[in-house]
Amino acid sequence: MSEIIISAKDIEVQFRVRENYLTAIRKVSLDLYTGETFAIVGESGSGKSVFTKTFTGMLESNGKITNGSIMYHGQDLTKLKTEKEWASIRGVKIATVFQDPMTSLNPIRTIGSQITEVIEKHQKLSKSEAKAQAISIMGRVGIPNAAERFDNYPFQYSGGMRQRIVIAIALSCHPEILICDEPTTALDVTIQAQIIKLIKDLQKELGFTTIYITHDLGVVANVADRVGVMYGGQIIEYGTVNEIFYDPQHPYTWALLSALPQLGVKGEDLYYITGTPPSLFNKIDGDAFAPRNPKALKIDFAKEPPFFKVSDTHYAKTWLLDPRAPKVEKPAAIQNLHEKIARMTSKGGAFHVRTE
Amino acid sequence: MKKGYILKRLLRSVISIIIIMLVVFTLVFALVPRDNIFFEDATYRKLGGKPDEKIDYVYNTWQKLGYLDYVKINDYCLELYEAGSDEIKNALNPDSKETADFVALYESKGYTIGYYTVSKRAYAYKDVPLLQRLWKWFSNLVRVDTIYSVQDPNNPDLERKVYFGRTPTGGLALIGSGTYHKYLLYTDSHFPFIHQNFITLNMGESYPTYQGLEALSVMFSSQGTEVKRDVTYETGETGSSAIDFGSLTYKENLDRMDKKKFTDHYANYTTFKDQSSMVGTSFTMGIFALLLAYGIGLPVGVAMARNKDGVIDKLGMLYIIFITSVPSLAYIYIFRYLGTTLFGLPSVFTTFGPSDIRSWILPIISLALPSISSLMLWIRRYVVDQMNSDYVKFAKAKGLSRKEIFRSHIFKNASIPIAHGIPSSLAGCITGAIITEAIYSVGGMGKMLPNAINQYNNTMIIALTFLFSTISVLSVLLGDIILTKVDPRISLTDKAGRS
Amino acid sequence: MMERIEDNLFEFAEFDERESEHIAAPRYSYWKSVWRTFIRSKVTVFLSIFVIALVAFALIQPMHSGYSPTVAPNINNSEMKYLPPSSEHLFGTDNIGNEVWDVVWAGARNSILVSFVSTAIIMVIGILVGAVWGFSKKMDKWMIEVYNVVSNVPYLLLAMILSYVLGAGLGSLIFVMVCIDWIYVAYFIRTQVMIIRDREYNLASKCLGTKTFTMIIKNILPYLVSVIVTYISREIPSLISYEVFLSYMGLGLGTNYASLGRTISQYKSFMTGYPHLFWIPVLVLAAIAISLYVVGQKLADATDPRTHR
Repeated sequence: MSEIIISAKDIEVQFRVRENYLTAIRKVSLDLYTGETFAIVGESGSGKSVFTKTFTGMLESNGKITNGSIMYHGQDLTKLKTEKEWASIRGVKIATVFQDPMTSLNPIRTIGSQITEVIEKHQKLSKSEAKAQAISIMGRVGIPNAAERFDNYPFQYSGGMRQRIVIAIALSCHPEILICDEPTTALDVTIQAQIIKLIKDLQKELGFTTIYITHDLGVVANVADRVGVMYGGQIIEYGTVNEIFYDPQHPYTWALLSALPQLGVKGEDLYYITGTPPSLFNKIDGDAFAPRNPKALKIDFAKEPPFFKVSDTHYAKTWLLDPRAPKVEKPAAIQNLHEKIARMTSKGGAFHVRTE
Repeated sequence: MKKGYILKRLLRSVISIIIIMLVVFTLVFALVPRDNIFFEDATYRKLGGKPDEKIDYVYNTWQKLGYLDYVKINDYCLELYEAGSDEIKNALNPDSKETADFVALYESKGYTIGYYTVSKRAYAYKDVPLLQRLWKWFSNLVRVDTIYSVQDPNNPDLERKVYFGRTPTGGLALIGSGTYHKYLLYTDSHFPFIHQNFITLNMGESYPTYQGLEALSVMFSSQGTEVKRDVTYETGETGSSAIDFGSLTYKENLDRMDKKKFTDHYANYTTFKDQSSMVGTSFTMGIFALLLAYGIGLPVGVAMARNKDGVIDKLGMLYIIFITSVPSLAYIYIFRYLGTTLFGLPSVFTTFGPSDIRSWILPIISLALPSISSLMLWIRRYVVDQMNSDYVKFAKAKGLSRKEIFRSHIFKNASIPIAHGIPSSLAGCITGAIITEAIYSVGGMGKMLPNAINQYNNTMIIALTFLFSTISVLSVLLGDIILTKVDPRISLTDKAGRS
Repeated sequence: MMERIEDNLFEFAEFDERESEHIAAPRYSYWKSVWRTFIRSKVTVFLSIFVIALVAFALIQPMHSGYSPTVAPNINNSEMKYLPPSSEHLFGTDNIGNEVWDVVWAGARNSILVSFVSTAIIMVIGILVGAVWGFSKKMDKWMIEVYNVVSNVPYLLLAMILSYVLGAGLGSLIFVMVCIDWIYVAYFIRTQVMIIRDREYNLASKCLGTKTFTMIIKNILPYLVSVIVTYISREIPSLISYEVFLSYMGLGLGTNYASLGRTISQYKSFMTGYPHLFWIPVLVLAAIAISLYVVGQKLADATDPRTHR
C-alpha cells in the first residue's frame, strides 16, 4: 500500500522583478505517493518548474516562499535555509534532472569525475569504490563501454548519452524522489522514447517516486500514473491519467487536449487557444483561465472556484462543476478520445495511453 | 595535424615580425631626419672646426649604420696609384681627370656627388633602399662564426684553424684562429658554465650612446662596477682585471697594452660587472611582481565574486577604480611616499643598490599594483559568469556544497582564460616597466626604449623593437597552446572551439 | 464553505477575444529604465554633478586666469615664490611665482580637452571599422594581421615620430593618440560583433534579406551601447594617464602648453621641501580621473538592460 511521501500545502511563491512582485505560485497543494509517477503539465510560464524548485530549495535569489508548508519525513522543507540543511536532501533524497544535458554538465571535466564526486560526497566511499560504482551505473543507464568512456568529456558524447549520464548522476545515490524537468524536450524524437523508457525501467527497479514536468501530452500519456494540470500558477485539475484524458472537467484541460495536433482533421484548421496566459503581477480575481474561455460564466470573473470532487482521485477547480452551472459538453474534438487514439496508434503513431 | 598548425602559426608570426620591422625601419630611417643621430655624439661636436673631417665622419657613420654607401675620391685613387705618390696628389684634385672619371663612374651608378668644403675633393654616396637594408639586417642577424670570418687587410697571413686548448682561467676550450670569436666553445665558472660562440645574434652596433658595443651586449651584459680579480694573461703578464676571457674577439689594430697581454689579435673583450644586466634586473623585478600579483589578485578576485555586492566586493572595486582611473605616475608616487615615510624604505633603487633587499620591495610592489587590479577584475568577472551557468545549478541540485562547487567546478573553468594570459604577463616582465623604473631609478630595460628614441640611437631602437615584438608574438602563440592544453574542448585545428 | 452566490452569476459571460490577447506586464522603456537605474544611487548622482562642475570649471577658469606657461610675471619677485596654500593663494605659488591654482586648472583643461576629443574620434573610427570588420569574414583574415603588426610597433616610437613631424601641440597630440588607439577599439568592437553576429535573431534578419548596413545599425549597435560606454569610461582616464606619461617623458604637449604631466614632473623635485607643489596637482588629477571613471562605469551599468530591475 503506497503512502504519502511528500505533502505540499497552500504553497505561495513570489518573485521580486523590477520593483514589482510576481506571484508565480498561487496556493498550490499536492500530495505525492511512494513509487508513483506524477506528471505536471501546462504551458510555459504556468509555474511547473518553480513549484518543483521549492522541493529542493533551488528558487532564484529574488524568489521567496511566502506561504505554505512542504512536509517531508516530518520536516518542513520551506523552513530550511542553510546549505548544510539542504545538503542531506539535495541529490541524496530528492534529485533533479534538467532539460538541457549539454549545459548541465561541466564541459571541461570528465564525465566520470562528475559522477564520482556525487558518490564520494554522499556515500563517503573511496575513489576506487566510487569509480566502480559509477561505471556500473553508467552501464545501467545504457552507456556502452562504460569503463573506457569514463574519462571522456561531455562534448565527446551525443545528446542522448549525455542525458543518460545526467540521469545516472541523479540516481547515483538512490534518491527517493526524482524530479524530471522536461528531460526530453531538448532531444531528438527517437531518443525521447529511449530516455522515457529508461526512466520507467529504472523506476521499476529502484522504486523511486517520479515527478515529470512536461508540456508534451504524449509523454504524459506514456508515463504518468497521475496528472496535475497547471495554469496561471495553480493546479486547476488533477486525477489519474485515464480520468484526465477521458473525463476532463476543466475547460483548460479540454483546450489542452483539443490542441493535440494528432487530433487534427485533414483539411480543417488546427485547434488553438486564443490569447496568452495572464500576467501574474496583478492579483487575479476569479478563474485565471476565464478571459480565454469562450464558455466562461460570469462568476468565473468574480470569484475563484474551489476544488470540486469528481471522484476519489479526481478533482477540478471549475465553476462548471457547481450544481447551479449550466451543463456544458466537452468539445467534439476530444469526445471518444479512446477510439481516436486507438485509431492513431493502429496507424503506427507513437501516441499511447496506458490503460492499466 | 597539430604540428602542422603550430608550424603555420610560427610562419605567420615570423611574417608579422618582418612586417613590424619593416614599419619600424621606415619610421626610423625614412621619417627621422638623419642628422639628428649626431646630437648626442661627442666626437661630432669636437669636429666643429674641421668641416672636411666632419663630413667624412658623418658619411662614415651613416655608412656604418647602413644608411648609404660612401665612396671617396681617395679610395678610388688608391686603386690606381701608390699611396703618397705624386700621381695621387694630382689625382685628388677636383679638376683632375681622375676626379672626372670618378664622377662619371659613380653618377652612372646612381650616386650623388659631393665636394668637401675645404679641399674641394670629390666623394659619392647612394642611399641603400629600405628593403635592402631590411634584408641586410636579417641576414646579419644570425652570425655563424667560421675560420674565414675575419678578413683583415693588414693581416693577410692570419692562420685559419681550430684547435683544442684551455682558457687563461683554466677552462676547456675549442679555440679558433681566423674566427670572429677566439673561444668557440668554452667552460668557466659562470652560469650556464658551458658557453658557445659558434652562433651568435648580431643586431648591430649601438650608436651614438654605448658606442662600439653591440646592441645585445648593451641589454644583456652585467652593469655596475667592474669586478676585478687577479688574472694571468697568456703572455704571462699578471694584473687585476675584470676581463671575461670568453668574450675575446678579433681586434684589427693592437696597441701597446694589447701586445703586453695577448699573443694574438684577439684583444677586444667585455668585463664582468657586479650588477645584473638590464634585462636581468627588469626580469627579476617583473617575476616577483608577477608572483605577487597572482598571489594576491586571484584570491581577492574570487573572494569578491563570492561576496558579490558585499563589503569585500565593494572594497575591492574601490581599489580597482583607484588604480584604473588614476594615472600610474600619480599612484606610484603616492605609494612610494607612504612606503618611505611609514616604513623607512629607500626612495630610489640606487640608495642601497641591488644587493640590499630593501631596494627591491617598493619597486616590486609598485609594479604589481596595476596587475593586481586587472587580475581581480577579470577573475571576478569570469567567476561570476560561471556562477550563473547551468552546470553550477545542476551541481547544486546534486547536493554539492558551495565550497565544493567553487573548488572543483567554478575555479577550474574560470582559470582557463587566466592561464591563457600567463605568457603575455611573463613577456611583460622582460620588457620592463617604464614609469616604475624611472621613478625608482632602476637600471632596467624600461628606460632603454625612451632613451634610445631620445638619443636617436637607431640600432637600439631596432634591436629593442625586434626583441619586444618577437617576445610578444611568441607569447600569444604560447598562450594559445596553453589554452588547448587546459581546455579540452579546444583543439588547435578546430576554430569553433568556444563561443 | 460556500456563501450565498446569486444564481444569475451562473450565466455565460460575454467572450471578448481581444481581451484575451491583452498583455498585462508592466511597460518597459529602455531609456527611462537607464535613467532610473542611473539615479538610483546617491553617490552616482553626487559624483555626476561633481564631475560636470569640475570639467566645466577646468574648461572655463583658464580662459579668465590669464595664465600662460610661457609667461612668468613673478619670476623675479622672490616674495611670491613657494607660498603655501592660503585664502589668498588657494593652492599656493610655485618656484617661479605662478599661482598653482592657475597652473593646475590650465593643465587640467588641456588633459580633459585632449582626452575627450581623442576619445570621441577614436570611438567613432573604431566603431565604424570594428563593426564592418566583425561582420565581414573576408576582412577579418587580413585585418587580424594588420592588428598584430600595429599593436606591436612601439607606441612610444610612433608618438615621438609623429610629434616630431607634426610639431608639439594639442592638435598633434590628439592625432597621435587617435593613430595609436583606434585599432584597439576596432578590435574590441569586432570581437563583440562576432559574438552576436551569429545569434539567431541576426540570422533571421539575414534570411529576411536585411542589408548588412541596416543590420549593423539596428540589430547590433544598440546591443553594444553598454559595452561601448564601459569602454569609454576606461578610455578617457587611460588617455589622460597617457598624456601625463608622455609629458613626463618629455614628449607630449610641449613647453608651450600647460600640462598636468609636465607640472608633476617639474614639481617632483620639491616633494620634500614644498610638498604642496607636488601633491596638489597629483590630487587634482586623481580627483578628476576617479570621478570620470566612476560616473562612466555607473552609466555603463545603467545602460545594461540586465541590471534593470
